[in-house]
Amino acid sequence: MAGSGKGRGRAAFTFNIEAIGFAKGETLPEVAFKPPPLFPTTDFKPVPLKMGEEEDYMLALKQEFRASMKKMPYFMRKEDENQGIEKYSKKYLQMKKESMEWTPDWRRLPREMKPRKKTKKAGGKTKKAKVATPKSNVDVLKKIEELEKKGDEEKSDEEKEKEKDKEGEEEEEAAAAANEQEEYDEEEHEEENDYIASYFEDGDDFGAGSDDNMDEATY
Amino acid sequence: MTQAEIKLCSLLLQEHFGEIVEKIGTHLIKTGSQPLRVIANDTGMSLDQVKKALCVLIQHNLVTYQLQKRGFVEYEAPCSRVLRILRYPRYIYTAKTLYSDMGELIVEELLLNGKMTMSAAVQKVANRLTETMEDGKTMDYGEVSNTFVRLADTHFIQRCPMAPETTETSDAPPPPAPTLAVNEKDMYVVPNLNLIGKGKRRRSFDDEDNGEHKAKRQKQDADSEEPPPDDGIYWQANIDRFHQHFRDQAIVSAVANRMDQTSSEIVRTMLRMSEITTSSNAPYTQPLSSNEIFRSLPAGYNIVKQILDQYLTLLADDPLEFVGKSGDSGGGMYVINLHKALATLATATLESIVQERFGSRCARIFRLLLRKKHLEQKQVEDFAMIPAKEAKDMLYKMLSENFVSLQEIPKTPDHAPSRTFYLYTVNTLSSARMLLHRCYKSVANLIERRQYETKENKRLLEKSQRVEAILASMQATGAEEVQLQEIEEMITAPERQQLENLKRNVNKIDASENQVDETIFVLQSYIESTVRKL
Repeated sequence: MAGSGKGRGRAAFTFNIEAIGFAKGETLPEVAFKPPPLFPTTDFKPVPLKMGEEEDYMLALKQEFRASMKKMPYFMRKEDENQGIEKYSKKYLQMKKESMEWTPDWRRLPREMKPRKKTKKAGGKTKKAKVATPKSNVDVLKKIEELEKKGDEEKSDEEKEKEKDKEGEEEEEAAAAANEQEEYDEEEHEEENDYIASYFEDGDDFGAGSDDNMDEATY
Repeated sequence: MTQAEIKLCSLLLQEHFGEIVEKIGTHLIKTGSQPLRVIANDTGMSLDQVKKALCVLIQHNLVTYQLQKRGFVEYEAPCSRVLRILRYPRYIYTAKTLYSDMGELIVEELLLNGKMTMSAAVQKVANRLTETMEDGKTMDYGEVSNTFVRLADTHFIQRCPMAPETTETSDAPPPPAPTLAVNEKDMYVVPNLNLIGKGKRRRSFDDEDNGEHKAKRQKQDADSEEPPPDDGIYWQANIDRFHQHFRDQAIVSAVANRMDQTSSEIVRTMLRMSEITTSSNAPYTQPLSSNEIFRSLPAGYNIVKQILDQYLTLLADDPLEFVGKSGDSGGGMYVINLHKALATLATATLESIVQERFGSRCARIFRLLLRKKHLEQKQVEDFAMIPAKEAKDMLYKMLSENFVSLQEIPKTPDHAPSRTFYLYTVNTLSSARMLLHRCYKSVANLIERRQYETKENKRLLEKSQRVEAILASMQATGAEEVQLQEIEEMITAPERQQLENLKRNVNKIDASENQVDETIFVLQSYIESTVRKL
């Protein structure tokens, strides 16, 4: 019985099964119905890592680089949305300010990169996006603070101005460049608006057009 | 670009630039070049966030933009460039070995900031060096800028493409995007700067002298009111040059292992002589006569001309063909076959991987196939002198893992198996590609594992950081030994153990990432050089 079964099985192959390494009468391996295991056993253990001064130094460099990257202004943290109002304390704002100290060289970037709604100072521009939501909160807080210490107000304002000046200078963004930027902006305002309008119009037109076509085609 | 590459890019971006940039960057890598509004629309993020993320990516040379004909700008993130973030530590280390601490810091700053002006970089590095020096000593700008010039002279850093001069008088609105132009001539020319000054120490931000400090700062800043003289000239690390250096190092050490120290020194001299004259992707170096090589040998190396010629003949006769003879003029002209060297290195890597994964007998079959190119199964069994059954088993295992490939040659057009030759062969290029892909996958896995380990112990890590901060502040105020010890004991012994464990694991994973990248470099250089040749 077994023999005949085997015989039938054998007949299914059009070639000599011995050629691929099965002896006569040997049972064939079962067909696999499941994927291979996620963590297959390894026959050979991996060799240990290279160790030495060079490797250690590179390891330190890697970890240090990663840590300092997190402190750079380029690192954009996701804003925690459900942060309570009291979280926007002075400390928090200060921290934010620190990470704001970066203005790209707008001359090297496409004009659309520059935020459109803008204030006069160089530092705040890039941050606009982030401040958008919490802004109302900050305003409220500011109001409260103002009411709390009317006397101190003037002084702190002065300080702020100083800070702003500093920011501008530190980022070797020259005054000339700033002027240039402002000039740019007037044009940019119109331009960008035009561009956007036409952009969406175009899109709509296309959309409508293609829809029409579709309709004609189908019905 | 494969799934594994995209995954790795996304992890690297997230670790170095945060989640917002990661989302934009990964989207761009997946989709190819796209205009701003489409990116914002597809990722569902606010336009301003997208803009800022793109600014960051452009600053770090990870995204390029191009003005399209219809007047909009398209952004593109080349995957291969993003993957180089993994190699940053090695670039920094190389700069250190070549140009000591100053070189290290210059390259590190350039990589941290993407691109910088020379004045800004020199200033930053001088400040950082001053901070590490003893009190009262400062680092002079001049010294740092000397190192900067040397780095530029050897092409390790280069100028970024320049933005065109803005002409404010023209009536026409400026184009939506500046076209950045590369000026081949000044690529490595350092602007003539007169940087005078010394590194400044960061002052402690005590509340009391805050006001005074601010006033001081303002006064200092008032001095530097004018734009720096090199405004607009940005520098970046020249990654190709670093790769060239890695490649040369690999070739030199391969020759040293194969023959001896002297021959490796000769090859090193030849490579150094052609460093600047040969482009980093040429298959051969410029021919060098043995007289030239003799003159350029390092002074301390006293080998006579005759011995040098013998060595060169020996190198040229070596079956590895690292060095080739291209002519007889000038006492014999020699070149280094860079493509062949890379291929040899990649093949050696393949062999060693097969050996470590499948054992030495499989490696024997693999080497046999490499040497004989095409072999039938029966021939493999005979030549490798391995029992038929085992040899088949090994061959099939390597075939199923794609290290070995199978070529069918039918005798008759019906492809009947009994009338077909089955030839086993090793396709080095496709095996290298497969392994490269695996390397990317393993680095991504390593990073994920590291993040998991860190996340699991987040609370403990935060605690230890807090305790350390308290300790440091108490030490600064001169607390008593007993008090310090008390605080130190806030971390219990088992916790300390756990922290040590974590640190060991993270270090191991980080070290593995660095070392996998070395394999990635070898495989990738080989693939690039081969593709260029085809």
